[in-house]
Amino acid sequence: MKTRDILGYAFGAIKMRKLRSALTTAGIIIGIAAIVALLSVTQGLEATLVSTFQQGLSANVLTVTGNNIPLYANYTNQIMAIPSVSQYITAASPVIAQAGYITNSSRSTLQVTIVGFNFTEVEEDYPAIFAYVEAGSIPLNPPDNAVVVGAKISNLNLNGTIFVNVGDPLYVTTQVPIANKTYIGNVTAVLKPVGFSYGGPSDTGVYIPINQAEKYFGTDQLSQIIVILKNSNNDTITKVSNAITNYFKGQVTVESSAAIISTIRSAISSTDVVVVGIAAISLLVAGVSIMNIMIVSTIERTREIGILKALGMKSRTVLTTFLCESAITGLIGALAGLGLGLGIANIIALVSPRDNAIQINGIGVKITPVLTPEMVILALVFGMGVSILFAVWPARRASKLEVVDALRYE
Amino acid sequence: MSKHVVQAEDLKKTYMLGKVPVEALKGVNLSVEAGEFLSILGPSGSGKSTLLNLIGALDKPTSGTLLIEDVDVSKLSDNQLTDLRAKIGFVFQFFNLIPRLTAKDNVELAMSIANTGKKERAKRAEQLLETVGLKDRMNHKPAELSGGQQQRVAIARALANEPRFMLLDEPTGNIDSKTAQEIIGIIKRVNADGVTVIMVTHDQRLAREAFRTVEVFDGMIGKHEVDHN
Repeated sequence: MKTRDILGYAFGAIKMRKLRSALTTAGIIIGIAAIVALLSVTQGLEATLVSTFQQGLSANVLTVTGNNIPLYANYTNQIMAIPSVSQYITAASPVIAQAGYITNSSRSTLQVTIVGFNFTEVEEDYPAIFAYVEAGSIPLNPPDNAVVVGAKISNLNLNGTIFVNVGDPLYVTTQVPIANKTYIGNVTAVLKPVGFSYGGPSDTGVYIPINQAEKYFGTDQLSQIIVILKNSNNDTITKVSNAITNYFKGQVTVESSAAIISTIRSAISSTDVVVVGIAAISLLVAGVSIMNIMIVSTIERTREIGILKALGMKSRTVLTTFLCESAITGLIGALAGLGLGLGIANIIALVSPRDNAIQINGIGVKITPVLTPEMVILALVFGMGVSILFAVWPARRASKLEVVDALRYE
Repeated sequence: MSKHVVQAEDLKKTYMLGKVPVEALKGVNLSVEAGEFLSILGPSGSGKSTLLNLIGALDKPTSGTLLIEDVDVSKLSDNQLTDLRAKIGFVFQFFNLIPRLTAKDNVELAMSIANTGKKERAKRAEQLLETVGLKDRMNHKPAELSGGQQQRVAIARALANEPRFMLLDEPTGNIDSKTAQEIIGIIKRVNADGVTVIMVTHDQRLAREAFRTVEVFDGMIGKHEVDHN
């Protein structure tokens, strides 16, 4: 019997028992939808996070933070002079960051992270940052009141509400103000939206000259040192990271954006394992119900099987016909599950908090569910695989029926 | 090739009914010539259907020799037996049509199992249904057809793969006498076209329609053999 005829016969049998076929398929639909919905959300989250981290200037940047020791500005020179790796380092720049408030001329206040950095050094060693200026300019020799703000500080969450613009005054207060001093700043530049770039500019950052930060924060201890590398090769990153850690006898932590991204990836992929595991259990349940339905179906159709064999259908073809029925059911279930899963994923993305967003370092990150070709293949293979696997035994049983007995079956 | 389509020698068939062996055939000798119309007459439980099942390659004998077109059935594998079945037209008492398929699709199914192309089998199915007088009912399902009409579909299906011989098991057992006469008419026409016909029945009147009748009693061919020619 030709494959096309076998498929046609199998499809006719499914059509004949629409309700039962639909209920059999339901198990597969639910299982596949669960896998697709959860995976496409986590994949979407991963893609969003990774692209957010990669959007800025971060690939060749390391950050050094002290574990138990305070960091000072002169450590930057020491880092640049570490003999084994100095040739890989372009610059090491101090950063002081503290939580604080900014108030605009209309007396609206936002809670933000205030970052002090060396404008001149950044201009010399990290020129790309100037490509990210949306309006105004970053002064080479900043006046004491210079403030550079991220895109979402100027244009709140990029929704058109202007909080502050170039030329506007901005009052910056640390959370623990020294003698209630407020830094009265003047916005000299607004950055373009860059997402969150590790060690580089951020959409929600507020930047002031480092000497002013020291003065207003009342400390010369650095929050971190940014090390800019000549390239972003993994080898270079590892070599320099290890050299700095060893130089400070393990009392500092050196992080790279590549390492952060790989941490995110591994965290999400371990979530995926759990998710797929749970969904696989639902597919197993679906498989058992398929087997049950197939056994009932083959018993009901004993006489039909007898007729087919009496007409000259080989046992192998009977087996194939029943497996095809199950495979078609599985395929329909997998396709419906894919659609339903993607629908559920989009609903999850829609109802997730704050304007379809999750929060990363104060920045709203939108999740766009991702359906990769691998997921489509996975869904189809799982859906059809489970259906076929659990149909093998009932189908074999059907194919081995003796013609005379099957024809006599009432 | 001999002129015999079927040759049975000392054919025995024993069934297990639970743990009790039941001897359905106790040594049957029978030969059927090509082109014959033979009826096998016997009461219920005489073993006549068992004999027909063996000749139709639906079952294997327990012992003895059964040659169908000079091929020893007992030596065939299951797959070879299945291939042999596709060349035999079988008509059952209870029609045995597939309920979800139309008359035409039921006839076509037999041909699709034998790998006949789609166009060819559609054409042949229409021709056969026209021959048995069902031109107007070919797109109806069995449930929408009378017993007589269903049996005509079954005959059309049995002829689908151009069999050299046709086996009928109580072909008029479930239909009224007028329709039965029409069915017999069709069977005779088929036989006249050169197809060997072997028909099992318990009805003496029907048996007389054949050219030759053998009687089966208690698993054996009776001494009583009638040549109607």
